[in-house]
Amino acid sequence: MKKKIGTAMVVGAGISGIRSALDLAEFGYRVTLVDKAPGIGGILSQLDYQFPTDGCGMCKMLPLVNRDESSQTCLRRGLFHENINILSGVQLKGIQGEPGNFKVTLEKPASAIDPALCLGCGECAAVCPVEVPDSFNLGMGLRKAVYLPVPHMIPNAYTIDFKHCNRCNACVTACPAGAIRLPEEKRKQFHILIVDDELIVRDSLKEWLLDEGFSVDMADSGRAALDLLSQKPFHLMLTDIKMPGMDGVELLTRAKELFPTLPIVMMTAYATVETAVEALKTGAGDYLLKPFDPRTFIPKILEIYQAMDMVEEQELEVNALVLATGADYFDPSKSKNTFGYGIYPDMVTSREFERLISGSGPTHGELLRRSDAKPVQRIAWFQCVGSRDFQTNSDFCSSVCCMHAVKEARLVKEKLGPQVETVIFYMDMRAFGKSYHAYQTEADQRYGIRFERSRVHTVIENKETGGLDVFYADHEGIRHGEQFDMIVLSIGQRPGSDMESLARMAGLTLNEWGFAASLPFSTSLSGKEGVFLGGSISGLKDISDSVIQAGSASLCASRFIHSKGGGLSPEPDAPTRFRDVTRELPKALVMVCTCGQAVLEKSEEAGLKKDLMKDPVVGEVIFLDRICTEKGWAGLTALVSGASENRLLIGACLPCTQPLKIRALAQLSNLHPGLVGGVDIRSFQERTFDVSALKDTLKMGIALLRRVDPPSDHFVPSIRKLLVVGGGIAGMTAALAVADHGFEVDLVEQQPCLGGNLIWLQRTIEGHDVRVFCQDTLARIEKHPLVHVHPRSEVTGSFGSAGCFLTTLRDTETDLSQTLEHGAVILATGGKEAETSAYGHGENPNTVTQKELEQRLSDGTLTPDRLESVVMIQCVESREASQKNYCSRICCISALKNALHLKELNPDLAIYIFYRDIMAYGFFEHYYTLARKKDIIFIQYDPDHPPRITPSGESICVVGMEPVLGLPLEITADLVVLSTGVVPMLPKSLAGCFGAETDASGFFREAEYKWRPVDSLKEGVFACGLCHSPRSITEAVASAEACAQRALRIIGNARIKAASVTAQVHHSLCSLCERCIEACPYGARSLDTDLMQIVVDAVMCQGCGSCAAVCPNSASVLAGFKDQQVFDAIDAIL
Amino acid sequence: MTLFSKIEVKDKDLSSCLQGFFVSLLASDKIDALLIPRQLPHKAVVMPALIYNPDDLAQADPLSPAFPLNAARMASRLTKKSSGEKLGLVLRPCEIRAFIELIKLRQGSLEDVVIIGLDCLGAYTNRDYAKFAETEGSTRRFYEQVLGGCSGPVDRYELAGACTVCEHPVPENYGVDHATEVLVEAATSKGEALVQGLNLSKASEPASRKKAIDGLVSDRTAKRDKMMEETSALTSSFEKLSQYLSRCVNCYNCRVACPVCYCKECVFVTDVFDHDPYQYLQWARKKGKIKMPVDTDFFHLTRMAHIGLTCVGCGQCSNACPNDIPLMELFRTSAHGAQKAFDYEAGRRVDEPIPLSVFEKDEYPEVVGIKGAS
Repeated sequence: MKKKIGTAMVVGAGISGIRSALDLAEFGYRVTLVDKAPGIGGILSQLDYQFPTDGCGMCKMLPLVNRDESSQTCLRRGLFHENINILSGVQLKGIQGEPGNFKVTLEKPASAIDPALCLGCGECAAVCPVEVPDSFNLGMGLRKAVYLPVPHMIPNAYTIDFKHCNRCNACVTACPAGAIRLPEEKRKQFHILIVDDELIVRDSLKEWLLDEGFSVDMADSGRAALDLLSQKPFHLMLTDIKMPGMDGVELLTRAKELFPTLPIVMMTAYATVETAVEALKTGAGDYLLKPFDPRTFIPKILEIYQAMDMVEEQELEVNALVLATGADYFDPSKSKNTFGYGIYPDMVTSREFERLISGSGPTHGELLRRSDAKPVQRIAWFQCVGSRDFQTNSDFCSSVCCMHAVKEARLVKEKLGPQVETVIFYMDMRAFGKSYHAYQTEADQRYGIRFERSRVHTVIENKETGGLDVFYADHEGIRHGEQFDMIVLSIGQRPGSDMESLARMAGLTLNEWGFAASLPFSTSLSGKEGVFLGGSISGLKDISDSVIQAGSASLCASRFIHSKGGGLSPEPDAPTRFRDVTRELPKALVMVCTCGQAVLEKSEEAGLKKDLMKDPVVGEVIFLDRICTEKGWAGLTALVSGASENRLLIGACLPCTQPLKIRALAQLSNLHPGLVGGVDIRSFQERTFDVSALKDTLKMGIALLRRVDPPSDHFVPSIRKLLVVGGGIAGMTAALAVADHGFEVDLVEQQPCLGGNLIWLQRTIEGHDVRVFCQDTLARIEKHPLVHVHPRSEVTGSFGSAGCFLTTLRDTETDLSQTLEHGAVILATGGKEAETSAYGHGENPNTVTQKELEQRLSDGTLTPDRLESVVMIQCVESREASQKNYCSRICCISALKNALHLKELNPDLAIYIFYRDIMAYGFFEHYYTLARKKDIIFIQYDPDHPPRITPSGESICVVGMEPVLGLPLEITADLVVLSTGVVPMLPKSLAGCFGAETDASGFFREAEYKWRPVDSLKEGVFACGLCHSPRSITEAVASAEACAQRALRIIGNARIKAASVTAQVHHSLCSLCERCIEACPYGARSLDTDLMQIVVDAVMCQGCGSCAAVCPNSASVLAGFKDQQVFDAIDAIL
Repeated sequence: MTLFSKIEVKDKDLSSCLQGFFVSLLASDKIDALLIPRQLPHKAVVMPALIYNPDDLAQADPLSPAFPLNAARMASRLTKKSSGEKLGLVLRPCEIRAFIELIKLRQGSLEDVVIIGLDCLGAYTNRDYAKFAETEGSTRRFYEQVLGGCSGPVDRYELAGACTVCEHPVPENYGVDHATEVLVEAATSKGEALVQGLNLSKASEPASRKKAIDGLVSDRTAKRDKMMEETSALTSSFEKLSQYLSRCVNCYNCRVACPVCYCKECVFVTDVFDHDPYQYLQWARKKGKIKMPVDTDFFHLTRMAHIGLTCVGCGQCSNACPNDIPLMELFRTSAHGAQKAFDYEAGRRVDEPIPLSVFEKDEYPEVVGIKGAS
């Protein structure tokens, strides 16, 4: 089927960017994924372990359907997808055009090393004499001036850090591929004008700059400078400020009038710094502080040079933009209270700690005191550094640091043993994510991590024993001192460094703290048409939320592109028809790139060829030279295009055997890519030279090709309809999102009307009107021709799998049943406020829940002016091992909302909130601050001693411990409001009939919490909203959109292509023991009781091979990894 | 809940007493057909027979020391799908245990099936039995001597190796038993229902029985441990193992005889091991020479991997080997280690899953190298 292809650009290749890019690519759009960093992965490229599973698992984001279009290897090392073009190390320079037709300008800084030629062999780094702090390890450890920016990428090209390169040329000589060209000529063409009235300054600057290879002119006054500028072009002017006659500022103004594009840098003594800063506003690029030192001066100039030395500038036309540029981190060394960071080596940030405990870090994962390399016995974490702090202008919570610290502490216990003491100093432990409360409880009870609710006031280095002395006061005000070997500062979020310029370019609105703001009830609508927000650009998020939000962003982008007619790109070419070789005997053409005789000398070619030709499957062996060059590739192209063989093997360096190259060869030879193999014959012999190893490697490649069956593309038809169960806001959002793409949606609701919890909710804490939002959504549903609502209906049964489900509905009023066909299903059955009989609820009319409070305020049955005192109690029957052992996430915000609302209606009202931890995550913190400013009293209570009540006449007496006073407190309240938490409404049987599961608390069980947060393990079944996990309206909307995006991958195409690596069954050999069914983690196998055969759902099968491993007689086989193939490959090297 | 009953034995003739018992079973409506060892009309051959007509039980011979094959395979054939009839399976303990494993592997079922196990007096190898049975009345001679306390050879013939180290002589949890009267133990509710319908007189288990069994088991266990120690020493390196198996001719009799080798067709006779002539020559070229047939060690190692967890130690592999390779010793030794590692015992319980079919998140971190990985 032909379809119009839209284009999108995703800016930022962290996990959100990757998720959005994959989403859009899987739906069929062409995506350009750009990042200013040299590799993909964002912040997680430096993080080895992530909560709450303490592992990675990023690869779980890779496509599950149409797997062949994408790489299926470690995502931290790289990504490849048919529809994604990745541009790394690229800066966004401008966005022009109209929504739906943006013209985006990108700039790529010059690189002295051609990544297409670089083998990643490391010869350059071996000879480089310059050692500088390693940026990948955040300055801990050393690297060379020529280095790998992200050490684990594949393929990986070296790059030169010109700030530190001394241009000794050693790497140029050492490079076996000739990939390095130092930009001597270009620097000579870079003209710098120095303007200073002092000769000595001019002369020394000139000398330093000439040493760096630049062309330099000098002027002793502003007048002389202007003369020179009019005579010839300059690329940079450095000017002093205090000069007789025309001073620097005047020169700046005049020069800018005449040469608006000329970069000008002010040179200033300390006395005129303020003038220099002023000058920045009138067009100066930067300023440099005198006196100069070549060690600081030169890098600064090189930085300016680098920034301007853009070689590649490209303009791309895209329909939509997803911005996922992420967040930055707070730098404690720049704050008023540094805790000694930057001075005490044993004081590290949480990000630095990640590098220290990583196997690829500066100490290879060994945790030692940075001051004296002694073993670490006691570690402390300080929470909220640069978060929840007025001193650092951060009236927000950074949302992830609590869990991050808990994870790091657990990691320490696991790696170093339980004897190492770990203490976390915190204010509130904000474990508000789905399984985080259990994770934290486990940290406390099983790992023995100490949680100290206190802020440390003093840290002093202990000169005698080493380590750091820490002083803090407990909540009773008693001062304590403890010694630690290492302190980890849990640093908070800051907006990305280029957020302001990005906001200007893209037309974003920023919030008070400089993060991107989204429209009400959406995480991804930026307010600017065609521009969408993903991930931490709007504030730091954990992986699960980032992935959900990225899904929402890609859905919104996709919907936008669809609304614009699918895009501007031409319709794609007809799919390639490969040569049919099923009836031919396998014959392989083996091609070996000798890499300029670095792999094989000319004299050895004949011997190798003779040996390889003994294998009857080898038709021909041909040696090529440097296929990485244009000439070499042309030779290869000519050879392959005319080849009569039906298998191709290319032996070359890693970059030349990447999937993209293999596909190119397949296209050229008209052979299915499955019949083209590539082996890396370069990496393993970086330094040593070994023909027999080369031979073995080639033989392994041949072995795998010999028995490969000509792949036949297998398709599963997909019914292009969606079923949504549950008509609350999540269900309605998901239904509309998919229907807006032109697909039919059946929306099932048990109740007579749609709306769910939005029927009673009045407004959000931000003040957005929920009723209006609900009415709008209901109206859109009603008007949408593709959404079919089934009210008063319930699902009675379902069977089928991704692409084809048959579900029976029963109308509860008429008792009539009907069967619906659909390709995917989204469960959005919702949740509700938990019922309770605690604190006299149900008996005493003055004890209400937060929901009841909100309802009574809106229907007028409660008049706040008549109230004098209100007590709110948080975490009622929640976060306990015995009941609701999770945080319901929204209750603290609801309590703050209702408390603030009450205060608004009656400012004299006294409000007391008993809480355990106030979960005012993210920018909700602001409302917590506001509440305290409005004199709402917060009293922290211990779960073992919760507040108690005794009725006293009309009012209720609440007794609780006040921890700061250390005394019991008696409050006479007119109203007691309980936060009882959220319970899901997803019957196990309902989830079960679609093959999904519920967790211990009754919420939907995700395939994987972090990486596949809305999928069930069974493909084609998704969940969102409150039946998935407690979440706000906006978050429920985001999860619904993420679900819609996941569903669109399946119903977006009339048929789903199975991957070439899938499992098959030899029925004649199968004993029907069904062990493969038990072993299959994807539920892709079942017993067909009519045929009495094991059947494999080729779309659900992910080619993991577990079934082949448990099958004793290989009745179950994995295509591409048949026993013979694997045996042959092993044989080849034995 | 075990219910004990007894059957009178007349003229010390255990065989005919048991025959009578089985006739009464077939006569009841609880059992339609019995699988039971039976004398063939030919001389000295005992084979399992599926008996429908009670008259044909006259030749039933469950006490003979013949063990031509492990009847778990026959039980599997009869119960793989429902036959619509109720079956009684008279099996030795090692046959029961193998059948339990096959049930877990979905090669058999207990539905409409009652297992009748006999205390096992041991058996001879096929070769020894053929000679032993040449003399009339062999079965009676055998059980009278063994039950009379003779622990040495009967008519010069020793029990098969596997039986001498068998620590499971009693069909645990399933059962019938003997003496001057035969004790019938109904160990399951199904068994109880069956026995209650037969109007047998109640009995209780004599204390001496348990003592005798315990003694026998501890004696056999000691022998077993010694055997395993010796076998381990003989096969402690790859070279030694290769030497141990050097007489193998790839006849695959052992896997045909093995009750838990349940594959429809062994992978070793499929095209996976049907090498190209080029392959043989490449091996020979690379190594200078290769032993033919190839893959003999690989075959046994593969079998060890496949049946390590389900091997019940019946010894049919040794019984079947034409070249007298001590396979039972090798397989029991390796299986013992494998089963111990997972705290599993083949045939112990039908509701105990085979370890490799269960996914444990945290298991053997020192082997898998990851802890708590998701």
